[in-house]
Amino acid sequence: MTDMAASPSPVHLRPGVVTAVVLAIFALLFLAGIGFGSTWIPLETVAQVLLGGGEKTSRLVVLQLRLPRVAAAAIAGGAIAFAGYLLQRITRNELASPGVLGVVDGAALGVVLFMAIFSNDTNSLVVSVAWQPLAAALGAIAAVSLVFILSGRQASSAIRLLLFGIAVAAACKALTTIFMLVGPVYQAAQAARWLAGAVNTINATEIQLMLAVLIPTGIVAAIAARHLPPADLDDTSSRSIGLNLPLYRVFIFFLAALLTAGAVAFAGGVSFIGLMAPHLARLLVGRARLAGILTSILLGAIILIGADLLIRVAFAPLEVPAGTVTAVIGAPYFLYLLMRKDNTNG
Amino acid sequence: MAIAAAAPRIRSMELSRGTIYAVLAGLLALVWLASMTLGYRLYSPAQVWAALFANDGSETATVLAGLRLPRALIAPLAGAALGMAGVMVQTLSRNRIASPDTLGLNAGASLAVVVATIVFGVQSLVGLSLAAAFGALVTSIVVFGVAAGAGGLSPLKIVLVGVIFASLAHAIVEIILTSNEAQLQQMLFWLSGAFVDRPISLFYNGLPVVLIGTVAGFALAPAFDALQADDSTAASLGVPLTAVRALAFLAVSLLTGAAVSMAGPVAFVGLVVPHIARRLVGLRHRHQLAAAALTGAIYATTADVAARFVIYPVEAPVGAITAVVGAVALLVLLMRRLA
Amino acid sequence: MDDMLASRIEVKNLTLSYGQDVILDALSLPIPSGRITVLAGPNGCGKSTLLRAIRRLHAPQSGQVLLDALDISRLTGKELGRRIGLLAQSPTAPQDMSVEELVRLGRYPHQAMLQPWSPRDDAAVAAAMAGTGVEPLRHRRIGSLSGGQLQRAWIAMVLAQETDIICLDEPVNHLDMAHQLECLELVSRLNKDQGRTIVLVLHDLNLAARYADQLVFVSGGKIRDSGPVEAMMRSELIAEVFNIGARIITDPVHQRPMCIPFRRQ
Repeated sequence: MTDMAASPSPVHLRPGVVTAVVLAIFALLFLAGIGFGSTWIPLETVAQVLLGGGEKTSRLVVLQLRLPRVAAAAIAGGAIAFAGYLLQRITRNELASPGVLGVVDGAALGVVLFMAIFSNDTNSLVVSVAWQPLAAALGAIAAVSLVFILSGRQASSAIRLLLFGIAVAAACKALTTIFMLVGPVYQAAQAARWLAGAVNTINATEIQLMLAVLIPTGIVAAIAARHLPPADLDDTSSRSIGLNLPLYRVFIFFLAALLTAGAVAFAGGVSFIGLMAPHLARLLVGRARLAGILTSILLGAIILIGADLLIRVAFAPLEVPAGTVTAVIGAPYFLYLLMRKDNTNG
Repeated sequence: MAIAAAAPRIRSMELSRGTIYAVLAGLLALVWLASMTLGYRLYSPAQVWAALFANDGSETATVLAGLRLPRALIAPLAGAALGMAGVMVQTLSRNRIASPDTLGLNAGASLAVVVATIVFGVQSLVGLSLAAAFGALVTSIVVFGVAAGAGGLSPLKIVLVGVIFASLAHAIVEIILTSNEAQLQQMLFWLSGAFVDRPISLFYNGLPVVLIGTVAGFALAPAFDALQADDSTAASLGVPLTAVRALAFLAVSLLTGAAVSMAGPVAFVGLVVPHIARRLVGLRHRHQLAAAALTGAIYATTADVAARFVIYPVEAPVGAITAVVGAVALLVLLMRRLA
Repeated sequence: MDDMLASRIEVKNLTLSYGQDVILDALSLPIPSGRITVLAGPNGCGKSTLLRAIRRLHAPQSGQVLLDALDISRLTGKELGRRIGLLAQSPTAPQDMSVEELVRLGRYPHQAMLQPWSPRDDAAVAAAMAGTGVEPLRHRRIGSLSGGQLQRAWIAMVLAQETDIICLDEPVNHLDMAHQLECLELVSRLNKDQGRTIVLVLHDLNLAARYADQLVFVSGGKIRDSGPVEAMMRSELIAEVFNIGARIITDPVHQRPMCIPFRRQ
């Protein structure tokens, strides 16, 4: 049974056109995200700076203060959206998302273990904090690998896979709590904030690291995505087309995990974007593959930049984590999906 | 003829059930004793006896009666409540991996407590307990409403709705907590579930609620039995589906709310315990509920004792321990295709 | 079992719709007591819905189902459960339930709040299991049973309800030939030996013809015709209801009409 019935695009335009429009929205929001702050910088100035020009103070503010955070949001949002796209296509389940496979919670455990192991008696880190994202990535990959090893053949059932993911995630969460309590208050607070998803603490080096990890992964994933089975074929038919399905599936999952880990290692837990963005993309461009990937990524970036912007506008000076905002929107959306999905399935 | 042949078989099954109950009761007593004697400090059974029945005001007696006794009473009561709630949830959702956690009740209760503490500044533990119970109740009504409104209560749908609801509640909790660092540590501990540092008044508050929920559960037991079959069959047997489900949900909320109000959200107890209960006494709900109550009490008390030693000398939140055990159990259930 | 005067069902002007779709259209049908009535018709004609409406699993928009001249909507669920039993299509129960636990479910309509289980219930369960031959299987898990055994266990559950009227919704669809016969022979015996009124929905017209006393053709939410099997097995009628060509011969083994279908030009 396929869960991905073709949903005709309500936007009766060609996918290319829609993607271009989304790209334009993204560009505008990107500039606005940089422009917004204690002083508003006009969009043309921001564009000027990004293209290499602009005067010194503007350059300083834009490149050092504003750009890292917005860029991180864009990259993380896009990466997670792509991961969600891959997961939804390979499991043929529109409810799949990175958060559901234990990736995010594994990353959290990795971070907390890192803090617990590499702190000395005065509770300060003995190694550079730059290693933290690596710890997160390792944790994420370990968690999703565990999900796969344990589920074995049952991974082909989308719902069962979700449940394995929930179980592993729950175990990681519990262990995270225990280790958070082993440390001091400072650690616990920091870990909690990171867990919820914050892009405001990013610096330029971390962005470069992020790009170094995510761009190659993204390219490999884009190439691999060409072999994703069409949405309405079942497993046996796909096999007959010559796709070595189990291996390919594992590879796709690994890529999705890497993308997610790369994103959350820097930006914390923002997993709901991985659910929403691909789904919205499918609503806009239907089943067109390239447009679907591009639109998903752009929408993911838009959502996270938007959420971060919303926090800065509405909640200042409180640093509410972006992930929670997306969760507060994403959860009701998921519920709506659930209700609608069941109605169409009778 | 056929009746006579049937009777001895049935009776022999009842007997072995009786033995099981006796063994469980004995285990509970043992584990209770462990809870009183073991911990950061070790006490002897004699000291326990003295503290309870001949309180001489000494430090030992104060610790035993004031610190150990409350948790030794709350743990089994909360465990029993969660065990029974778990049985009902699994039957209602026809899903052996459902539990009060996966219906979002624990998360809803936590949210209520956090809101009460930070937004309304509620300080008293009793006040927070009421908030927890209220949160569990509201969540159950909303989850029930959402799932029913979408066209019926299919097993998987209930679980998914509940899990997403839980994540929503957790997200809101996180928003509130990261804005209030000072209370974070204390909240974190409670939010994982803990029997420690509780006044005995919580036990007395929780007991009547648990009793009401228990009575409701046992009254619904025959309907629960029929509900194990599909809806059409249950309906044609005369089970008033919606009414039974609504009442059952209320009972589950009461039991879960009581447990959460006493101990915070203790994860996965309602998941693991029903499986053990079914293995021991079969599928009839009168027995499932009874066995789940006993097993839940034993499980929670054992976890509470373990919590004292896992990251000695720091006390681990008992909910984190049950979560790890429960997650492993869930994985085993899934791997063995028992659910 | 003593011969009992089974209750009389009558469907009167029953209309039932799901939203805009009218499934049953002002349907009227008397159901003779102590006989086997089979509802037959093409897919989606409403025969299952009719059966379920008789047991009040669906509420009609208009019309009534009368049980001994009393509108069934006036009865409580349990009362109705003591009068009409229904074996639903593809019923499910936990795989680790024992046969005995399954049959015991049938006593639900007889259980009161304060006296949940009595020797009377034991007797009914034992009789039901004996009547369907599942006594030797009583402690087996239903997940371990064969298709035929499982179906007998379900029938035993319905029997334990001790109802005058038993409805079965496509009880043999998924069974192989041997078990189909076993099941329908059992149902026929229940009717002949115990005088229970049986209402069956059957897919297979020839099986229907073999076991029915009264055959009812349902088509497009209406009763196309009803009557004794001999009268109903006419090729023009079958052609019209089922949209096939039909040649009627006599089944040499059971001396009943039998239909040979062929595609019409």
